[in-house]
Amino acid sequence: MPANESHPMAGALPPDDGRPPQLTRRGFLSKGAVALAGASAVAAALSPLRELKPGDIPSLEQFLQKHYKEMTADEKHAAIARIAREVAARYGVQPNVADPPPLSGVEFVYALNISRCIGCRKCVYACVAENNPSRAPEIQYIRVLKMEKGSINIETADHHYDPPVVPGPDSYYMPVQCHQCAKPPCVKVCPVEATWQEPDGITVIDYDWCIGCRYCAAACPYWARRFNFAEPQIPAEKLNPDMSYLSNRPRPKGVMEKCTFCLQRTRVGRMPACVEVCPTGSRKFGNVLDPESEVAYILKHKRAFVLKEDVGTLPRFFYYFDERGSRYHEPIAPIQPEPGGGA
Amino acid sequence: MSEPAPGGKPVAGSLPRFVVPLILFALAGGLWANPWHFVSPVPPPINVPAWATDITPVRKPKLSPEYKVAGYSYRCSDCHKLFPSSPEANDSPFQHRDVVLRHGINTRCFNCHHLTNRDAYVDDWGHEIPATTPQLLCGKCHGPVYRDWLSGAHGRTEGYWDKSRGPQMRRKCIECHDPHQPPFPPMPPAPPPNTLRMGRQDYPHKPAAIKNPLHVSRGESDAEASDAPALPGPVNGKP
Repeated sequence: MPANESHPMAGALPPDDGRPPQLTRRGFLSKGAVALAGASAVAAALSPLRELKPGDIPSLEQFLQKHYKEMTADEKHAAIARIAREVAARYGVQPNVADPPPLSGVEFVYALNISRCIGCRKCVYACVAENNPSRAPEIQYIRVLKMEKGSINIETADHHYDPPVVPGPDSYYMPVQCHQCAKPPCVKVCPVEATWQEPDGITVIDYDWCIGCRYCAAACPYWARRFNFAEPQIPAEKLNPDMSYLSNRPRPKGVMEKCTFCLQRTRVGRMPACVEVCPTGSRKFGNVLDPESEVAYILKHKRAFVLKEDVGTLPRFFYYFDERGSRYHEPIAPIQPEPGGGA
Repeated sequence: MSEPAPGGKPVAGSLPRFVVPLILFALAGGLWANPWHFVSPVPPPINVPAWATDITPVRKPKLSPEYKVAGYSYRCSDCHKLFPSSPEANDSPFQHRDVVLRHGINTRCFNCHHLTNRDAYVDDWGHEIPATTPQLLCGKCHGPVYRDWLSGAHGRTEGYWDKSRGPQMRRKCIECHDPHQPPFPPMPPAPPPNTLRMGRQDYPHKPAAIKNPLHVSRGESDAEASDAPALPGPVNGKP
């Protein structure tokens, strides 16, 4: 077979006489080299899988978990036990995962006195400490807008202000968070019904049902929804172990989250973290169905308004202000004792 | 190509036989070594100061007529029964240099303090108001605010919103306001968010160079924004 011997691809060609193909040493090595290199390339291309952690692949139990509203009590207990196991494995903290039900005869309403808010942003960090959002990348539910006195122009508001002291001259501050609308556009657009409004007025998310399409973030007129673009990072010592299924349990990458009025606290009668920390007492929270509550008084007697009333979302978050304006916010010059006392 | 290899065979056909594995091996090595290492745009978490999550009120007044000197605690009347004051007193005697009265047109000590019983405040009829209820004193002038405070629209409310499940506390006027300088004291703000600081974060942190591209500077409310363009435009935040 002179033709076969002279051809470089001789090993690959079938012989002419109908016998089974003969594998030459040269053909084996060349084809083997190609196969080995190809396999190496495939293995190298899959090499990012080396960084996969055990928690990155959902367990079968999690994968088959039903929607929150379709779960029976036993299935909820199982899901809560699974979440507690996962949190303990990841953070080394034994969490206290609860699922407090909405209270009957309670509709939560929030009121914020913008003539008393000084823009110190303590509410932002009290919320972060309570609700276990990602620290890096940073997720914060409350955005404090600094605006000029005399208008409510959100287009020119600044939420990156960082002067040495607040309040600044000629500015007022308008913290914005989830308004827990009675007609929430975020719920309307969700294609998988992973977010819904609870009977006490809080719009919640089932983080295990969310597919991360971010339609709700686009629909929200108050920029209140936050997305976990990357794996949330929470230092273990900063994890709040008192968590609940619908609010502040640690979220996975790729799901939405939002303010829930701290339902893990408020459904057991406590104040939200942002109310508790506010140094000026600008933030008010309570049950609007109780006529004796502070918020019922404020809505009845104070000058209350909602943000973007024209979009028809009927928020449960009200801003109000004092009749005498905010002249108490005038900045105080450093005080020097006057000789002989002021007269 | 025309040059004969040793042995008289042409090398033309042997080229792909070595090139294909070479390319694949190079690809494998390149992917494994990962020279284009992914640089995360996520900045490191900021340090949150401890005071930012401190829920205690800004002031801790005693709500009792105590005066501490050199470790000893006196009642106000212990001294003031010995040294009567002028009813028109409006300056700080040397014993009370720490008191600086900046309370608008309220410039007389005995508009609030009782002239003869220094352990109490005084109401509009000259009667005593106990030191534990300073809100009755403030309500003499600040009627609308007192009304709001009584119903909960003004002032801090602590504890439980649902009083059937736990205690609720109302903070009194002087637990936030210094009665001698009543405006709420300015304080430094907690760190601003960095959610809009997109792109590479490995350059030195320059807050002045990182601006909200949506922000339009108007006036000189903060000095750092004064060099920003006055019209909205593609401000990429770098000078």
